[in-house]
Amino acid sequence: MAESNSLTDAEIMLKIAGYDSKALEQLYDRYAPFLYTLIKKIVTDKETAEEILSDLFVIIWRQIDQFDFKTNNIFTWLVTLARNKAIDVLNRRGGKMLPDYSDEYEKQYIIPKLSADVEALELEEVLNRKGKMEKALGSLTDAQRYVLELSYYGGLDQEEIANKLKIPTVTVKSKMQVAIGNLMQKLTEAK
Amino acid sequence: MDKKKSLELIKLEVLGCLNEKDRESLKIMKESNEDFPWKELADYQNLVALIPSALEIKYPASELKDKTAMKLYNIRDEIKAKIDAKKALEIPTQPVEESFEAEDKFELEEKIEVEEKVFAEAEEGFHINADEPLPISQDESFRIVSNFKEKEEPKNLISETHDKTEAPVSKTALEKDVIEKIARDYIKGHIQDDIDLLTQSVKKNKILTFIFFFITLILIGALYFIKQ
Repeated sequence: MAESNSLTDAEIMLKIAGYDSKALEQLYDRYAPFLYTLIKKIVTDKETAEEILSDLFVIIWRQIDQFDFKTNNIFTWLVTLARNKAIDVLNRRGGKMLPDYSDEYEKQYIIPKLSADVEALELEEVLNRKGKMEKALGSLTDAQRYVLELSYYGGLDQEEIANKLKIPTVTVKSKMQVAIGNLMQKLTEAK
Repeated sequence: MDKKKSLELIKLEVLGCLNEKDRESLKIMKESNEDFPWKELADYQNLVALIPSALEIKYPASELKDKTAMKLYNIRDEIKAKIDAKKALEIPTQPVEESFEAEDKFELEEKIEVEEKVFAEAEEGFHINADEPLPISQDESFRIVSNFKEKEEPKNLISETHDKTEAPVSKTALEKDVIEKIARDYIKGHIQDDIDLLTQSVKKNKILTFIFFFITLILIGALYFIKQ
C-alpha cells in the first residue's frame, strides 16, 4: 500500500494504459472525492453524482488510449472529463437536444483535448492552493462570479445565460471574458 | 488582432460556452494560424480545472467503489478485445530484425511457460502429454500460452532442445583431421590391445603350422626309410 501511495499520477496512468486494474483503483482512491465534489455541484443529486463518478472511471478504463502521455496533465484531464460528462448528463436530463451518446460522441465531446503546451498540475499542489482560489473567486464582482458559475457549473452557453439574465449575448460574452481574465490575473498575483 | 480574437474565444471555449459560429472560427484559427496561442489555451484550461478546488470536499458512498468495479467487470470482454488488438498492432510495426529477436524471446518465454505448466500439472498428478495442446484457461498467462499453441504445431520440447545442441558436422579439412585424430585416439585407447593380441595369436598359429608341417615331413621320411 505504501508503494501505491508513492506512485505519481503519471505512473498510475501508465499502469492504467497497460490495463492494470489496481492502478485504476489507486486513481479512484486519489481522485474520487475531488471529482465527486465537482460532479455533485453540477448535478446536485447524490445518486446521479455517484452514477456519473462510477461511469467516469469506466470511461477512463475504456478510453485510456485517448489520454495524451506527452502532456501528462492528469489533473486537468480528469477534472475536464468529469465536468464534460456531468454537464452532458445534466443537459440530457434537462431535455436539451443532443446527438445520441456513442463511442464517437464520447471521443469528440466528452474526452478533453488539452493543449500540448502545458504545465501539468498535481492534485496535492492544487489542494494546497485552495485558499488562493477562494480568494481569487472572492475578488470577482457578483455578476462576474454568477455568469462564471452559470457557465462552469450550470453548463449554460452564452445565449442561455443571456436569456436567463435577460441581457444581450454580447454583454454575457464580455462579462465572461472579463471574469475569467480577472481570475487568471488574481491567481497569478497570488502565486 | 488575430491573437486577441483567439484569446477571447479561448476564454469562452474553456468554459464550454462557445456557440456554433465561434466554435468554427476557433477551429479554423487553431488549424491555420501558426501563431495560435497554445500556451495561453493551456493556461486557461488549467485555470478552469482549478475552479472546483474552492469547493468543500464531499465524499461518495464507500460502496460506490464496488459498484464501479462491477461495471468494469461487465466490460471485460471489450477490454480483452482492445488488449488483443493492441498486441496485434504492436507486433507487425516492429523492425524486421527486432521482430525476429522478439519472436525468439516469445518462443523462449512460451517454452518456459509451457514447461512450467507441464511441471505444475505433473506435480498435481495430471495426465501429461507434451504433444497434446494445453487446455484453454481463463487465466491471462495461460491464455497467451494457448494462443501460441494454436499458431504452431505442438512441439516435442525435449527432442527439439536436443536437436539444437547437436553441432552440424563440418566438411573443412581441419575438422576432418581433428575427426581422424579423435578416431585414432579412440581406436588406440579401446581396440589396440585386442588388435595386438590378435596379431600375436596369428603369429603363433603360423609358427605352429610351420612346426607341424616340418614334423609331418620328418615322419613321412622316417616311414620311407623304415619300409626300405
